Amino acid sequence: MFPLPVFREGGQGVRYLELVVSDTAAIRAWAAERHLPETHLARWLKMAERDRAALLAIARALRLSTGALVTALATLEEISVRESCAIESVLARDPIARIIKGRAGTAPARAKAFLEALRAIRYPRLAEAARKLEAEIAALHLPRGVSVVLPKDLGADQLRVELQAGDGAGLKRLIGALYANTEALAHNADMLGCGEDRLRK
Amino acid sequence: MNFELDAIVIEDRCRSSALAARVIEKVPPHVPVSYVADGREAALPQTGARDPFGAGKRRMVVLNRRSPFLMACPSGSAEFACCGYLVLTLASNCPMDCSYCFLQEYLAGNPGFQVYANYADALDELERLAKRAPGRHLRVGTGELADSLAFDRITGMSRDLVEFFAARDGLTLELKTKTAEIDNLLKVDPKSHTIVAWTLSPDAVFRNSEHRTASPSARIKSARRVLEAGYRAGFHLDPIIAYAGAGRDYGELLDELFDFVPPERIAFFSMGTMRMTPGLRTAARERFSSDPMLLGEEVLSPDGRLRAFAPIRIALYREIVGRIKASAPKVPMYLCMEQPGVYRRVLGAEPPSAAALGDLLARG
Repeated sequence: MFPLPVFREGGQGVRYLELVVSDTAAIRAWAAERHLPETHLARWLKMAERDRAALLAIARALRLSTGALVTALATLEEISVRESCAIESVLARDPIARIIKGRAGTAPARAKAFLEALRAIRYPRLAEAARKLEAEIAALHLPRGVSVVLPKDLGADQLRVELQAGDGAGLKRLIGALYANTEALAHNADMLGCGEDRLRK
Repeated sequence: MNFELDAIVIEDRCRSSALAARVIEKVPPHVPVSYVADGREAALPQTGARDPFGAGKRRMVVLNRRSPFLMACPSGSAEFACCGYLVLTLASNCPMDCSYCFLQEYLAGNPGFQVYANYADALDELERLAKRAPGRHLRVGTGELADSLAFDRITGMSRDLVEFFAARDGLTLELKTKTAEIDNLLKVDPKSHTIVAWTLSPDAVFRNSEHRTASPSARIKSARRVLEAGYRAGFHLDPIIAYAGAGRDYGELLDELFDFVPPERIAFFSMGTMRMTPGLRTAARERFSSDPMLLGEEVLSPDGRLRAFAPIRIALYREIVGRIKASAPKVPMYLCMEQPGVYRRVLGAEPPSAAALGDLLARG
């Protein structure tokens, strides 16, 4: 077993390199500290040596919570099978590498961005559809008080529109704004349940 | 096909049945045969087995069925556009092992490969049903909880069934299979009352997911042979899996099919994209962790099943339907376990009633 270089974070943004003699010992230590259930630890340790080490480095760098690590483990395993690639190579991809290297944002925000980036790799066409829908809805410039809510993870084919008004005049104004955007909103609803050809337009 | 069996277990009361005699005669000599008082116990999951479901597939249990043989298709629901399929359960479980198979969840509690020795009772049930529905044409299939032809060389059931249906005008038999086990079929005249229906998948799905099945090419060649022997042939593109490149692969599969099978002789195409309950997905991923076909871009549908995101699956359906219509414009097509809205968007028409579609498919 060669010593494994691992970046660790000290106080006040100081990072230092630690040589760990056994990566499995380091993973076990992380798991014990975070109360990672044994089944998930076993999955982690079953990974190829470089894969499990890369995940450990990220778990430390982003100070992943136990739940976030479990989600990352499952998503990474699925990406690896879908794309026939090593987990280490997934973690080295641009969107993820940028999140790891970037210093902006809190650790939880970076962890969240990391999981979102993994999800976009795991579900590329869903992520693209969500991005297009969100962009189209934003481009409508609907007034405050009108919310167009996409189903969670695009898991349903229904678009929800919410109106919040404090008086009759306000409600009339919101309904007018909706009415003016009828075609565009109908198009958004179609994109959730119609053909991919609509998504390409 | 060369399926492996670890053991044959015969229920005492079936010792003298014709089915038990055929099984004992045809089973390879190295497979042990034993007898038990209650065959249902032999079908339970083996304690301590690493893969109890997989072990069940290799243990054939010959027993009497206690419940009715005939039932409405378990996939049917008021939520979906249905095809009026009636299911005749002559066996339970299957020696093949498709990673996406719903039996992994449905039969987890009794995975033994059960074959029912009292299947003559099923024919009596059919007779009674036909008498109660004069003038109707019913399509009855044996391929829901088992493959209709797997092990037919051992059980020989297909000949009895085909002969029974050949003598009855209001009944059509559908034998659904992923095998090329058609030798017994070629020995009897179906009088056009039997449809042999193959589930077809592109090579990529066959290689990754359909373990111990006949190759798609072998299935297509078998279809050609049964057509020449007087059978009708149908095709289930089910599950359709929306992986990258699926549209091209399904197109090539259909090209191959239409090269071998005259389109005007095809009885129907059914289509359904892969759907899994979360429980089935967990079971399937545990047994086939390296199968990429189980890892599509599914979302949870309102019926609680995971399916490919609607725009993705509708686009793939449309591509496949377009390819079929180009070569076989008159062949009936229907979707299985899909919402009426998807049906309309894909096939451009309201879904017919289950009874009407069932009648159409049965009459041909």
